[in-house]
Amino acid sequence: MPTIRLENLVKRYGNVEVLHGIELEMADNEFTVLVGPSGCGKSTTLRMIAGLEDVSEGEIYVDGKPVSHLEPKERDLAMVFQDYALYPHMNVAQNISFALRLAKRPKSEINAKVREVADMVGLTEFLGRKPGALSGGQRQRVAMARALAKDSGIFLFDEPLSNLDAKLRGQMRAELALMSQRVQKNMIYVTHDQIEAMTLADRIVVMHGGHIQQQGTPEELFKRPVNKFVAGFMGMPPMNFLDGQIEEQGGEIFVTGDGFKLKLDDAKANTARMHSDRAVTLGIRPSDLNFDNDADPERALTLDVQVSEYVGAQSVLLCKCGGAQVMVEVNSESPVALGQRLTFGVNPRGIHLFDRTSERAL
Amino acid sequence: MSSQNTRTNPAFYAVIALLVFMSVGPVILMFMNSFKLDVDIISGTSGLIFLPTIQNYEKALCDVLWYEPDHIDFCSLKFGGAFINSLIIALVSTVLTLVIGCMSAYALVRFRFMGRDTVSLTTLMVRMVPPAVLLVPVFGLWNNEFCLDRDGLIGGAIRDTFGGRGDVCLAGTHSGIILIYVAMNLPFVIWILQSFIVQVPRSLEEAARVDGAGPFQVFFKVVLPLIKPGLAAAAIFTFRIAWNEYLLASALSDRDTKTVPILIVNNMSEFNVEWGVIMATGMLLAIPPIIFTLLASRQIITGMTAGAVKG
Repeated sequence: MPTIRLENLVKRYGNVEVLHGIELEMADNEFTVLVGPSGCGKSTTLRMIAGLEDVSEGEIYVDGKPVSHLEPKERDLAMVFQDYALYPHMNVAQNISFALRLAKRPKSEINAKVREVADMVGLTEFLGRKPGALSGGQRQRVAMARALAKDSGIFLFDEPLSNLDAKLRGQMRAELALMSQRVQKNMIYVTHDQIEAMTLADRIVVMHGGHIQQQGTPEELFKRPVNKFVAGFMGMPPMNFLDGQIEEQGGEIFVTGDGFKLKLDDAKANTARMHSDRAVTLGIRPSDLNFDNDADPERALTLDVQVSEYVGAQSVLLCKCGGAQVMVEVNSESPVALGQRLTFGVNPRGIHLFDRTSERAL
Repeated sequence: MSSQNTRTNPAFYAVIALLVFMSVGPVILMFMNSFKLDVDIISGTSGLIFLPTIQNYEKALCDVLWYEPDHIDFCSLKFGGAFINSLIIALVSTVLTLVIGCMSAYALVRFRFMGRDTVSLTTLMVRMVPPAVLLVPVFGLWNNEFCLDRDGLIGGAIRDTFGGRGDVCLAGTHSGIILIYVAMNLPFVIWILQSFIVQVPRSLEEAARVDGAGPFQVFFKVVLPLIKPGLAAAAIFTFRIAWNEYLLASALSDRDTKTVPILIVNNMSEFNVEWGVIMATGMLLAIPPIIFTLLASRQIITGMTAGAVKG
């Protein structure tokens, strides 16, 4: 299976540059997810790899060979589109076998392949149907089967699950994860849904504004975001941000702000000491706050609970801390009443500090 | 509730009856008169009661009949020949218009080139020019400019094969009429097909490209099957116009290439109008477009169900 390398990839539409020098390397059999908000350039990147968009500058290497001048069909890749892009005038079997028929493979081979792939995605009974007679999930499967039948080394997914309802999306996500384990291929997956990214990816590439913000394993991105954007984008509910200041008092390092004063621990304190008196943004994930009325006030936030959103086992509390809003994830069983002022202990490992102007992690 | 009321309203039926009468009435009149003798038609006394005769049809079809009817001394009408001319001209011009039309429409919709919008707009503006305006210049060009010298290589060969005097010109040939019909119908066909091609999702074409289709395969295997209803509509439109066209054909055809509408008018002379034969030929003239429309409209229906699928 091929490796893919993007070298200083730039895309311009007229005078507008939408991708500013993307550098990326995707290893063998890796499931790479490009994730970011709408308009961040993730789909454009994928379409450039597919050959559906011209490369304005830079080069795409597949197995060390430059491919940016090649037609899509010469690039050994298969793609699943957001709107499935099934050929409405062909039935499921014809849809799946389209690429093979174009390649003029022998009929027996095509039939065998169609049956094998249909079996894999559970479409065997529907081979004679037109896409119009299928449900959304089934169409999604046909699109997947069509890509699988091609037997190419690279698999591209352009937001394949975004047209499905929530339940089906979860189900298809699990099937996709299973499929990616079974077929050893290089997969690139574009999504704006960070849960899809977290669950499927070997490696996540977070993009924003035409730049790569950070890449790494889901865990790396979740635990050590390099900037405020990545920190806020990954994780649900999103990370809380509080404006503050680093202060040194009697040899101890504190982050202080409107309504809070948090003591920092050794490692964090050491990095923070170097940025003493700097304006920072404190980031704490909702799950790193625990309801604990006896917590040490120097390691806790005191919050006014305003709204409680019950989501089953967990509840999300919307609270006020000074002027800022803070979300807290608590066990639904916790005795929390609205309008109360409560103390929440802060997990010392869950404290993230960002420079307020550059938004980089300290 | 209100729709229920309108349906039961007698005025609604009255309007429908009027519309039906307006559209079917002339056809029924023509149908009945085609079975009457000229005397009966002109006298107008008999109305619905008359002795039907097929004399008019025999007269109209005299050159293709396998027997010689007693009432005809000389077969002056060449309906068979004209019918074949009409068929050749209408079918060939329809096919040509569709082939060129769908390709240009595709190019106008999908390719980016300089002056695309201008070209797109101009095609429709050309359509606004009345055919009568075209007639004079086209007549001149077809007779005097677009000719092959009779002493030339190709012109000489044609002359030797088909005989005749003078240079070989476009005027009076099937090709001459076909050419002007294609030019006349093309703008509208391009315009219709553009709106159909716009609706084909771009991602379908991209999927086909990723699947390994070249530009022509994308067009013929993916786009064309999806715009079938548009093609059928355009075909009906083009065929009907080419079949009925009178003005240009009357000027550009000669004795051997004249079409049925011209043949019909030839039944009028300063001495006599042969109403019966005109009606009979009119009925015969109406048959091919009806068959063609039925065949083509079936494509529209099947095409619509296929097109209803969101890519």
